[in-house]
Amino acid sequence: MVKLEPRRGRLIIHFFGRKYEWTIEPRYWRNPIIGLILWLSLPLLLYFVARIVFNYPPIALMSTLIYANLLIMMSAPFNLQTIGTGRLNFGPHFFLAIGGYTAALLSRNYGLSPALTLPAAFLVGAIIALALSPITIISRGVYYVLITLLLPFILGEITYWRSDIFGAETGIPNVGLLFPSTGDVTFDVLIFVYVSLVISLAFLFFVDRTLRSRYGFMMGVINEDEDVARSYGINVNQIKMITFTFTSGAMAICGWFLAHYQGSFTGAVWLMPSFLILVLLTATLGGKGAIYGVVISAYFVATLREVTRVTFGELSVVVLFLILLLLLYFLREGFWGLYRKRRYREYEPSIKVRRQT
Amino acid sequence: MLKVSNLTKRFGGIIAVNDVSFKIEKGEIVGLIGPNGAGKTTLINLISGFYIPDRGKIEFNGLDITKKMMHERAKLGIARTFQNPRVISNMTAHMNVLYAVLGSPYGKNITMTEAGAEAIYYLDLFGLLKKRDVLASDLAIYELRLLELARALALRPKLLLIDEAMAGLNPAEAESVSKLINRIRNEFDLTIVWIEHVLKVLMRSADRVLVMHYGKLIADGKPEEVVRKPEVVEAYIGEEEL
Repeated sequence: MVKLEPRRGRLIIHFFGRKYEWTIEPRYWRNPIIGLILWLSLPLLLYFVARIVFNYPPIALMSTLIYANLLIMMSAPFNLQTIGTGRLNFGPHFFLAIGGYTAALLSRNYGLSPALTLPAAFLVGAIIALALSPITIISRGVYYVLITLLLPFILGEITYWRSDIFGAETGIPNVGLLFPSTGDVTFDVLIFVYVSLVISLAFLFFVDRTLRSRYGFMMGVINEDEDVARSYGINVNQIKMITFTFTSGAMAICGWFLAHYQGSFTGAVWLMPSFLILVLLTATLGGKGAIYGVVISAYFVATLREVTRVTFGELSVVVLFLILLLLLYFLREGFWGLYRKRRYREYEPSIKVRRQT
Repeated sequence: MLKVSNLTKRFGGIIAVNDVSFKIEKGEIVGLIGPNGAGKTTLINLISGFYIPDRGKIEFNGLDITKKMMHERAKLGIARTFQNPRVISNMTAHMNVLYAVLGSPYGKNITMTEAGAEAIYYLDLFGLLKKRDVLASDLAIYELRLLELARALALRPKLLLIDEAMAGLNPAEAESVSKLINRIRNEFDLTIVWIEHVLKVLMRSADRVLVMHYGKLIADGKPEEVVRKPEVVEAYIGEEEL
């Protein structure tokens, strides 16, 4: 029924009468399934190596992986938003905080479960984004940057002004966890790693499918030249508003995850410019418009952040940003650019057409 | 097909287009000439929806499109090219035309493969087939002009607005572009409004010529009649040999 048939450079799998062929020669290893398997098995592998081989509870390690996934959850919609609006948003963490506060307040004050706070967080984030979306039409350049940069600062001030609601720097405690504890804290964190990983994957899948659709084609034209896009008959304003709304809603889901992962939500921490910079660095180091590049850059940035924190103590932030600055200087097209240089033709979107003779 | 009535557009104190009225019939090639700053490109921008007029009315196939946005006019069948070719420079020639096919109203009902084949057809029509995998940024100015025309045609327009298709081209290239424009008019049953400074080419191709000066329409008629009008000679043509 199931039979493996190794051939030169490829493996043929016979599975209940069906035949699947997989190229195993290393130079053809482009199959995303390999990347996916590696990615999915990494937390489990690290968990067992640390716990069983070294007898060390890998909470810090797992938290780093969660942080990396969080950066992906932010950077993937951020990249899509940048392409679809043709604008660089400097306030993505504003929507994270909106989602976090919505989930935390609904959970603590009304006892709503995470399953109910999830759509609520998305909806509140998306509705606020829809109300703000005209800024993607009326402003550009430094004006857009300033407007989006001001949003998190305003929200930050509001959380201090109404600390009775938002808890200022102590945040909102007693938020229901995503799932009941198993009794093993380390194992709980491992589950959270996988939850964040699944959300990241869902975001990447959504972004990828969008960019490959006609809608993605239109977004690509808008990103290049809005006037040309209009001359194509594309409703630029509508697409920009929809993109801004949905991607911001996705960012709000990051806040929802944080609130139910930490059991509290402290917006002051996430509204800090340092987190914004890490999101921007992840998106940039991933490579312009490169959706899968953010996976590599997110894990790199999160790991580097943890390593510098442990190694350099108070100087960690300085060292972290210095290293990332150097990388930005040397990797002008990000991590994905390294791949792109080697496989230029694959990167360029094209459609093969056989001409009729 | 196109009726423009009392069209006016101001930019601060400058009246770029001043009370311009004319009609264009289906299938015509109408040349639009005038000295620099006469308001020709502004008029094209007003017809294509790039600008909304301060006063006046634009009707397209009996429909008032004065307040319609540029994308709505494109969907109605008004396509344009730009004075300085505006292509998606970091994409191939094929992708540039493919985007137009997909963006067009009929593009919604065809598969990606069909759209790809359609784009190839337009590239072939304009002699750009060999350049289909070349990035637009690597194309010569002549090829860029052709690419813009291919892209505009891929939208399957009824009215094509051409803004100086021959700027920067040598005489042989200009002649070739002129022949192509005439060919697509006949093959695709197009109506064309064509801004051009190369008068000799326009005289051969255009059915009618409109002459603008300081935002005003100073002449409208057959090419050979218009160029003999004293006000046109004084404002634009001068002593040029036609």
